[in-house]
Amino acid sequence: MSDYVTYDSLTEGDDFLNPVPVYKVTQEAVDKYILATNDSTLELQQTGSDNTRIAPPMLAAVYVIEALRTRVGPPGGIHAKQQFKFYRPAMIGETLYTSATVIKLYQKKGRNYVEMSTDTKNEKGELITSGMITRIWGKES
Amino acid sequence: MSELQSYASISVGQTLPEVEQVVDQHMIDAYADASGDINPLHIDPEFAKTTIFGRTIAHGLLTLAFVSRVLSTWNWQGWAYGGELNIAFLGPVYPGDTVRVCGEIDAIFQRDEGVYARCQLVCYCAEKPVVKGFAVCKIN
Repeated sequence: MSDYVTYDSLTEGDDFLNPVPVYKVTQEAVDKYILATNDSTLELQQTGSDNTRIAPPMLAAVYVIEALRTRVGPPGGIHAKQQFKFYRPAMIGETLYTSATVIKLYQKKGRNYVEMSTDTKNEKGELITSGMITRIWGKES
Repeated sequence: MSELQSYASISVGQTLPEVEQVVDQHMIDAYADASGDINPLHIDPEFAKTTIFGRTIAHGLLTLAFVSRVLSTWNWQGWAYGGELNIAFLGPVYPGDTVRVCGEIDAIFQRDEGVYARCQLVCYCAEKPVVKGFAVCKIN
C-alpha cells in the first residue's frame, strides 16, 4: 500500500478533511516564515495596542497546505493555480481550522489535475481566508 | 459595478513598486522548513533529477510570498484586509534565479463595500514569466 493518496481514490465533492485540521499560529512559525521569505513589511513587526501581532497574509500558504497534507499525492506533484481571498490576517495565538473540498478532477496533456476549495476559520468561526488550489498530481509508481 | 479611471492618487496604468529576490537552495530549504512542505522536488537534488525539471525548483508558494511583499508595500490595508489573488504558475524557479515581481493597475471599480483596484501581476525570471495573474485590493 502506498503512503500517499492515489488520484483514483479522489471523488468530486469529497469533503475529505474530517476532522478539520488544526493549525496554531505561533510566534516561532511566523518568525520562521518571515525570515524564509525575506519579508520586511513594517506592519508585521508592530505590536497592537492589545499586545497582538499579525501574521503575513500569505502565511495562508502554510496553514492551507498543512491542512491538505492528509490528501497529499505522490512526490513530484506541483502547484498549477492558486486563488486566495484574505478576509483579515491571522493573529499570533489564534487557532485555525481549514476545511477543504475536491471541486474538480480532470486530465490535460496526460496529467491528472485536482482542484480543491478551502475555507479557514478561527476558533470563533470567523472566516480568515478562502482559497482555490489546482494541483498537478505527481506520477504514481 | 462602475469603472473609474482614477481614484484619489491611484489611476489605471500606475505600476507598483517592484521587488527583486534572488532565490537560492538555502532559501528554498528555509521555506520548506518554515512551511512544512518537504516535497523532494524542492529539497532533494537526487529525486529532482528524475523529474521533468532535472533539478530542484522553488515552491510556487514561495514566489507568491514575494508577490505578497509587493502588494503589502503598495497597499497593506487593502491587501491584508479583503485582498484577493488569482494566479497561475507558468514555469519553474530554479536555485540561482532572480525573481522580479511586477504589477500594474488595470482597473478601478466601485463595489457595494467601497472602491477597489485590480492589479495585473507577473513574476519574471530573466525575461521569462513564471507566475501570472491579478490581485484585487480595496483602495477606499
